[in-house]
Amino acid sequence: MEIAHPTYRPDVRVRSTRTKKVLENAFWYLILTLIALGTIFPFVWVFFTSFKGPSDPIVSVPPQLFPKEPTFDNYIRVWNQLPIPWFFFNSILVSCGTVVLNLIFTSLAAYPLAKMKFKGRDAIFFLLLATFIIPPQLTSIPSFYLAVKVFKYYDSILALIFPALATVFNIFLLRQAFRSVPNDLIEAGKMDGASELRVWWSILLPVVRPSLATAAIFTFVAQWNDFYWPSLMLHTREHMTLQVGLVAMQGMMTSDSRGMAAGVTMTVIPIIIFFVLLQRHFVRGLGGAVKG
Amino acid sequence: MTKKFSLTPYLFLSPALVVIATFVLYPILAVVYFSFTKYNIATPAVWIGLDNYKELLTDDIFWLSMRHSFTYLLVTPVLIVLCMALAIVVNRQIPGINAFRAIYYIPVISGSIAVGISWRLMLDTNGLLNGFLLSLGILKEPIQWLAEPAYTLPIAMLLTIWMGLGYYMMIFLAGLQNISEDLYDAAQIDGCNAFQKHLNVSLPGLRPQFVMVAVVSSLAALQVFNEIYILTGGLGGILNSGFTVVFYLWRKAFRLQEAGYASAIAIALLVITLAFSIINIRFLERGTERE
Repeated sequence: MEIAHPTYRPDVRVRSTRTKKVLENAFWYLILTLIALGTIFPFVWVFFTSFKGPSDPIVSVPPQLFPKEPTFDNYIRVWNQLPIPWFFFNSILVSCGTVVLNLIFTSLAAYPLAKMKFKGRDAIFFLLLATFIIPPQLTSIPSFYLAVKVFKYYDSILALIFPALATVFNIFLLRQAFRSVPNDLIEAGKMDGASELRVWWSILLPVVRPSLATAAIFTFVAQWNDFYWPSLMLHTREHMTLQVGLVAMQGMMTSDSRGMAAGVTMTVIPIIIFFVLLQRHFVRGLGGAVKG
Repeated sequence: MTKKFSLTPYLFLSPALVVIATFVLYPILAVVYFSFTKYNIATPAVWIGLDNYKELLTDDIFWLSMRHSFTYLLVTPVLIVLCMALAIVVNRQIPGINAFRAIYYIPVISGSIAVGISWRLMLDTNGLLNGFLLSLGILKEPIQWLAEPAYTLPIAMLLTIWMGLGYYMMIFLAGLQNISEDLYDAAQIDGCNAFQKHLNVSLPGLRPQFVMVAVVSSLAALQVFNEIYILTGGLGGILNSGFTVVFYLWRKAFRLQEAGYASAIAIALLVITLAFSIINIRFLERGTERE
């Protein structure tokens, strides 16, 4: 049939593929939007609930999403009852402190594992590999003992930073990155009289910057969202991180849904902004992590 | 030429190794020791031999927790299927796709505590879900979602799945983007439709990600704690309906001051994890042989 109308055909096909394309895209946008609604709906609902005053029901039949008389009262109440700025301060300090120190420790360790030959390298490598599967909860009992009796950092944020100073995942990630750095580059540095430390700092680290960014983001988010160990360590309100503080809030305001909603909103929005700013790195980072 | 022995590599390694020795290796040895003792962290441990393990064997709550932990592993196949499908859906070049990907990632970023509290608010007896179902006439009476033992574990698992969607989707997406476009073109020339293309090109191409997601999500499922803690208010649910191995470990060690017994639970957890990892490694080796 197509051959029968040689002059007529191209135009029709262009138009029909175009409508087909538009329809297809519309279909995918519908699917994507439905999933997006499912993903963020709880947050949207919590967000609007946090602005509801006493006269706006949390739940009614039929449900009411938007507050009729929006108010900041819930935020003020939560803010007055809990040291929210401290929660943020502690979380930021713990996460940033861990990221900086952890990257120094792990990238130092990754260099010899990637580029040097020495006795015991394979043994160390496999030892590290084996620790991968150790559940963190298993080590929490002796770590608790260490915190209370040995290091005496119980109820301080040092207790969160110290055990996180070196993570096997980051050592492997950076080892993989270092391995892809050409040996010539390192040799050239050594010719110029650079020490190993200098090679590590001025040659290797700048080259693997994307991997460092990945490791930094994942370490930051892991520390920011960690709850199990911080909940064991932190008891004074002013020493709590956001996650532990949120749970403390949940315990305090069991019947105050509007207040809890305000607390959740307050703590989630900054991390979402952080994520949106760094989104590109997240996607690339996950890709890199799997390959490595 | 004999190579001179050099301290340098060891110096580079030592800071990290000291940390890992202190916070991973020492604790493993210590947990093994504690598991043979009566111990409450505050006072010195007293050797009691195999008593903790004997008690474990007849401890109904422990076996219940084990059963729950294994049930929890069901999240892994669900996550694999859903996240692979989701990755295929978002792996298309249409305007605004990055915004959608970012939105799907928001629950991952927000942390299990904030997400868990949001869910708790919605599932409350006076919460949104009941209000919604009542107004549609599906329910006559509100359901106590969080107080009904039969629902504790399924709700926690749903929460885990919901939070994991974005995370594992991103892993699969990264995998999809590594698959050469030529393979899809070749499949098209061979007469594959859209569905067959994914069956014949995407699935085999995603094998490394498949293994990774299986390993990571099943280990995470065995170690689940936060979801249970938040949904049950730290109590583990009515009739211990939310007890998992890790939750029971935590409760024994840090709520009931039975750290010796908890150490024995920890060893059990380690054995399961090891067994699981060996299965996973086997799986992984078979995967790489094929390539």
